[in-house]
Amino acid sequence: MSALQCRNLDLLIGGIRVVSKLDLSIRPGEFWGLLGPNGIGKTTLLKCLAGLIEPATGEILLESRPILELPRKLLARHIGMLQQHTVYVFDASVMQTALTGRHPYLGYWEREGPEDLAAARSALRVVGLDGFADRSVTGLSGGEARRLAFASLLVQDPDLMLLDEPTNHLDLRHQVQIMGMIQERTRAGSRSALAALHDINLAARYCSHVIMLFGDGDWCAGPADDMLSESSLERLYHCPVERLESPGGPRFHPLSR
Amino acid sequence: MMPTAQRRLLFLLLAMLSAGSILFAAAIGSVALTWEQWWSALLEPGSEFGELVWRIRLPRAAAAWTVGALLSLSGCLMQVLLRNPLADPYILGVSGGASFAALFGMSAGIAAALQPALAWAGALFSILIVFGLARGEGPWSGTRLLLTGVVTASGWAALISLLLTLGPDGSLRGMLFWLIGDLSYARLPGWTLLILLGIFAAGLGMARSLNVLAMGETTARLLGEPTRKLLWVVYLLASVLTATAVSIAGNIGFVGLIVPHLMRLLVGSDHRVLLPSAALFGGLFLVLSDTLARTVLAPRQLPVGVVTALLGVPLFLLLLNRARVRQ
Repeated sequence: MSALQCRNLDLLIGGIRVVSKLDLSIRPGEFWGLLGPNGIGKTTLLKCLAGLIEPATGEILLESRPILELPRKLLARHIGMLQQHTVYVFDASVMQTALTGRHPYLGYWEREGPEDLAAARSALRVVGLDGFADRSVTGLSGGEARRLAFASLLVQDPDLMLLDEPTNHLDLRHQVQIMGMIQERTRAGSRSALAALHDINLAARYCSHVIMLFGDGDWCAGPADDMLSESSLERLYHCPVERLESPGGPRFHPLSR
Repeated sequence: MMPTAQRRLLFLLLAMLSAGSILFAAAIGSVALTWEQWWSALLEPGSEFGELVWRIRLPRAAAAWTVGALLSLSGCLMQVLLRNPLADPYILGVSGGASFAALFGMSAGIAAALQPALAWAGALFSILIVFGLARGEGPWSGTRLLLTGVVTASGWAALISLLLTLGPDGSLRGMLFWLIGDLSYARLPGWTLLILLGIFAAGLGMARSLNVLAMGETTARLLGEPTRKLLWVVYLLASVLTATAVSIAGNIGFVGLIVPHLMRLLVGSDHRVLLPSAALFGGLFLVLSDTLARTVLAPRQLPVGVVTALLGVPLFLLLLNRARVRQ
C-alpha cells in the first residue's frame, strides 16, 4: 500500500516550464487519467514520477521517502511504467519478455521459479496472447507488442502503474479490455494507476480521477466527475466540445468550428 | 525459453566438441600422427611424439580455444552494451591500444616474451582513456561511449599506420601477422584462464540484467536496474576480455562478431544460454580455424585471422539466410 505524492513540482522541457507547482497525491484505489494536448509534458510527468528524470524543482515521495533516494530495484517493485514505444533490437521470445517483469524480484544468478512462470503465463492469457509464448517479439504486430508490454507490467505487479497511452495501437475490444483490467486492479483498493490518455471518453468511463495539463504551467486535478466538463475540455484542447448524456455517464464529442 | 534439460544437453555437447577439437588439433600437423601414435603420445608425455603433442600442439590448441572463448564473450557483452548487433570486441579501441604498444615493441626490438605484457599495458591505457573521456558529467549516453571509443580506435589506427610506415623492414612481417591475428607463438599463461573464468562467472551472474539491458536502457531502469553502473561494469568486463585475447594472439578478426551472432540465431538471446554457448563455440571455432591455418598450405603457416574471416563470412551468411527462410 503506498501513496505517491508530488510536492511543488516544476517540470521543464527544453527550458520551457510545462508544469508549475504541481501538488498531487495518488492514493491506493485511485485510477487517474492524465489529459492534455500533444507535447504538453504528459510523458515527461510520467517519467518524472517513475524516477527516470529529475524534476526541475519539487519532490516526489513514495510513502514519504523521496523516490530518487530509493534503490532502483526497490522502486521497481512499487512503481512500474508502460512506455509509449517499445523497440526490440535483439530478438527474444514472448515468454522471455513477459518474464522480465519478475526482474526486480530476483537476485544475481537467481532463475525464475514455477510461480514466476505461472505469473507470466497468466498475464499472457489475460491480454489474449496465450499460444504466443514461443513466438519472437520482432514478429509481433503493433497491437500485440503493446499487449505484451502490458503483460510484462502485470507480471511486475507494481503498486502504482504509470501508463503512457496504454490504448495506442489497440483495437476497440482490447482498448476496453485493458482499461477494464486497470480499473479492476485499482478498485480492489491496494493499487493505483495513472494513465496518459487522448480519448476523453475512456477517461470518463474508467478513471476515478483526472489531471489536466494546460501547457502554460497551469494544471487542475480532482475527481473525474468534477474535472470533465465542456468548459475545461475546451480550454484544454482549444476545440469546442459537446457533452452528451449516456447511460454510463457523460460522454464528450468534438464539434467542428 | 529453453527447457533446463535441453540447455544442459546443449552445453554438454558443445563442451565435448570443444575438448574433442583440442585433441583433434593435437593429431594434425606437419608431422602426421597415426591414431595409435596420437593416443600413445597423449598417454605418455615423455615419448617422442609426446613431446610434440604436449609441448607444442596442445598448448597452442589450448591458447586458441581460450582466445576464441574470450573474444566471443567479449563480443556478446559489447553488443548488449552498445545495443548494436554490429559491435565487436575491437570497436571501442581496446585492441588499437594493444596493437600500437605491441607493434612499438617489435619495431623497437623489445624481446618477444615481453610483448603480451606490452599489449596488455596498451589496452589498459586505451580503456582508461575511453572510460575517462566518455564518463564525463551529465546523463550517461551509449552514443557518447560509442563515439569516444570509435574515434579513439581511429586514432590508434593512424598511429599504427605510422609505425608500419616508419618501422624497420625486418619486423614488418611480424607486425602484419600480429595485426591479422596469429597463434604461432601463442602461449597460454594461467592468469588468462582465471580472467576468462572469472568474467564468465560474473557475466552469468548478471545474465538476466543483460537480457533486460538488451531491451533498452529505459526499460532496464524501469525494471530496477541501475543502468549507469551496469553499463560501466559491462564495458570494463568486455574490455578486459578483449585485452587478454589480443595480448595472446593479436587482432584475430570476425570471431567476436560472428560467434555471438551465430549463437543468437541458434540458441536465442537469453544470455544465460547465450554466454556459455558463445564461449564454448568460440573456443571450438578458433581451434578448428587454427588447425586449418597451420595445415592447409603446409609447410607454410597462415595467420589464423585470415582463416577465421574466410570461414566465418560464408558460414554466417548461410545461417543468416536459413534463419530468414525459417521465419
